[in-house]
Amino acid sequence: MPADTIISTSGVTKYFNRGRPNEVLAVNGVTFAIRKGDFSVLKGPSGSGKTTLLSLIGCMTRPTAGSVVVAGRDASHLPERFLAEIRRKTFGFIFQQFHLIPGMSVLQNVMIPLYPTDSTLPDLKRRAAALLDSLDMSKRAAFPVQGLSGGEQQRTAIARALINDPDIILADEPTAHLDTALSKDFMEIMKGFRDKGKTIVIASHDPLVFEDPAVGLIVGMRDGSLTELKRRG
Amino acid sequence: MNRAFVFLAGAGLCLLALTGLLFRSAATVRQQGNTVRDMTEIAACLRLTDISFSHDARYTRHPSQADLFSAFQDHPGSIEHFPSGSVSAPPDFSGIGTAISAGKR
Amino acid sequence: MSLTKHINILDYTLLSLLRRKFRNAGIILVFSLVICITGSVLLLTYAFKREAVLVLGNVPELIVQKMTAGRHELIPVSLGEEISRIPGVSGVEPRYWGYYFDSFTKANYTVVTPGGRLSEGNKLLQGRLPSAEEKGVAAIGGGIARTRFLGIDDDLALFSPDGKLRNFRVVGIFQAPSELLTFDLIVIGKGDLQELFSLPPGIATDLVVGVRNETEAPVIARKIRERIPDSRPILRREIIRTYDAVFSWRSGLILTLFAGALAAFAILAWDKATGLSADERREIGILKALGWETSDILEMKFWEGVAISLTSFFLGILAAYAHIFFFDAALFAPALKGWSVIYPRFHLVPFIDPYQIATLLSLTVIPYIASTIIPSWKAAVTDPDEVVRG
Ligand SMILES: Nc1ncnc2c1ncn2[C@@H]1O[C@H](COP(=O)(O)OP(=O)(O)OP(=O)(O)O)[C@@H](O)[C@H]1O
Ligand SMILES: [Mg+2]
Repeated sequence: MPADTIISTSGVTKYFNRGRPNEVLAVNGVTFAIRKGDFSVLKGPSGSGKTTLLSLIGCMTRPTAGSVVVAGRDASHLPERFLAEIRRKTFGFIFQQFHLIPGMSVLQNVMIPLYPTDSTLPDLKRRAAALLDSLDMSKRAAFPVQGLSGGEQQRTAIARALINDPDIILADEPTAHLDTALSKDFMEIMKGFRDKGKTIVIASHDPLVFEDPAVGLIVGMRDGSLTELKRRG
Repeated sequence: MNRAFVFLAGAGLCLLALTGLLFRSAATVRQQGNTVRDMTEIAACLRLTDISFSHDARYTRHPSQADLFSAFQDHPGSIEHFPSGSVSAPPDFSGIGTAISAGKR
Repeated sequence: MSLTKHINILDYTLLSLLRRKFRNAGIILVFSLVICITGSVLLLTYAFKREAVLVLGNVPELIVQKMTAGRHELIPVSLGEEISRIPGVSGVEPRYWGYYFDSFTKANYTVVTPGGRLSEGNKLLQGRLPSAEEKGVAAIGGGIARTRFLGIDDDLALFSPDGKLRNFRVVGIFQAPSELLTFDLIVIGKGDLQELFSLPPGIATDLVVGVRNETEAPVIARKIRERIPDSRPILRREIIRTYDAVFSWRSGLILTLFAGALAAFAILAWDKATGLSADERREIGILKALGWETSDILEMKFWEGVAISLTSFFLGILAAYAHIFFFDAALFAPALKGWSVIYPRFHLVPFIDPYQIATLLSLTVIPYIASTIIPSWKAAVTDPDEVVRG
């Protein structure tokens, strides 16, 4: 394993509803590694297990078998407290549905991940405002999130994912709700982060994403199994 | 403005107000010590046994002085005349203490 | 260890509560109403009990009444001699009193005779008290003075049983702060009372028995009953217990009247305790996915319980205090006083038991906090991957 590996899985397997009639094998013995600074895409048809693999990598859930190693720590056996810490410190997650909290402003939504830390609120506010500024969202900072357009919601979600200055950005179907122009914008933003040395993992079946020349690693999936592992560029 | 500080300050203020009221009532009680002393003197001088609290009928004026020729009243400890007096037996007070110390026993 | 994190979580909690302003304001409103009612009842009952017991602390230790055919009868004064021979009895005095129904005002007055003098400094009586031997003069309670429009030196006219009108010159009027005790009193001399009620000589209403050692009162009462089987001794202790019970009963009555509000709150609390709303569950999932730890979520829920229940508690208890001691229990007075032709005007002395308030605090705030935290426990410990899927 190369020294700059940041995420590696070995034989990672995830069952849902194990032992019951509605048992599903969502991820089946997947082994691969992502290097620091990689721009990687998990691709595959609907139901192939992309989202599940992404949440396994992101320490949102534990594998049924196999292991996930993130930044040198085996996340598959860590107590929940440490998983939360990894989520907070290492990952920025952009959800398919954005999952902004309605009733709060854009700025407040961006601040959420850092509330349970020792940074003071004025400090947090400054960081959030600077991030929104860099994403061209500062004019919407005080808006309640319910009133935003899809693209604006996504930028808010991106800002929220970045507030903790994560090493790894995970995004699930980021272009599903966007038109072509906005999808290209999104890819540009991600390339900007890649250039700053961040590792990027996107789950998507959108050709606009995985055919982008910036993508360095393509992980193909079907029915929970790895079908393709291709490094480009 | 930090909401947390606003809340904590508000709660602290309420606590302060509550303690203030406690002290205020303690002060009022002390101030009215003379009134209470005069009242006690009147009660002792006139040998009163009951406070003049309920005047709806003769038999509720002096709950402690059972007045057996009146309606519904059937026991010195009977605490009401209607309707509980007719449905349930008067409670046995000999066992229960009171929340208030009645001077020396 | 730094406080910043906890302050931040509290700040977030308040922010989150503000998202559902009206719902939470509603909860606080109902909750503080419940606390206000319960608190008012506690404050009022306690103040009444304290005042009653303080005032009654000096009532006669032992009173002996006579029974005939199971009914209360006037008692021969001569029985006092026999009682005074019982060891431990320091003295026996006859007590003369009775009720006078005033057909003009349709109210009952209590007619008593004085057993001694009031000290010069007693501010609760304007004028003076008639002595036991005096004739043709009276001291009256504030209630009578008001309904009959009487002042000092006016004449109070009362009918005696033979239908004749008798006049008493008012020489004393009891002042407002004493109305809890003197509201309906007419104090006249012993001779006047005997004539007004046509009492035969040698007969009193009951006997006041002085006791040397207070702890012996029950023993003496038993001995009196043994020697005079048709007598009924009444102990001071029983009187005070009876009052305690009367007030507890009355406060129970008030709480029953407001049972609707209590039930509404119980339903509300039940609704909260039995489950999280989908919105709350989703919020918890998002927070977890964003890196909040389980303990952070539970802390947030803790603050949520604190914010709502403490706010309600303070609002409720402050309102209760104002209700009872600034507005003289305006809401409850009818149920507490019973109906009456004339009501005493008294201002409660604000006796407060801090222990009762602390009990109310712990009985309302702690269960509410628990009912906020416990249902969110399950959501807080589940993996956040469900939220990833939406
Ligand atoms: N919580 C769950 N309980 C039961 N089955 C689940 C659960 N989550 C996912 N699955 C199943 O696991 C399989 C993989 O799902 P997953 O969401 O990872 O696919 P996907 O590749 O992301 O699909 P899409 O492109 O539609 O988002 C699916 O068959 C799905 O029904
Ligand atoms: Mg998916």
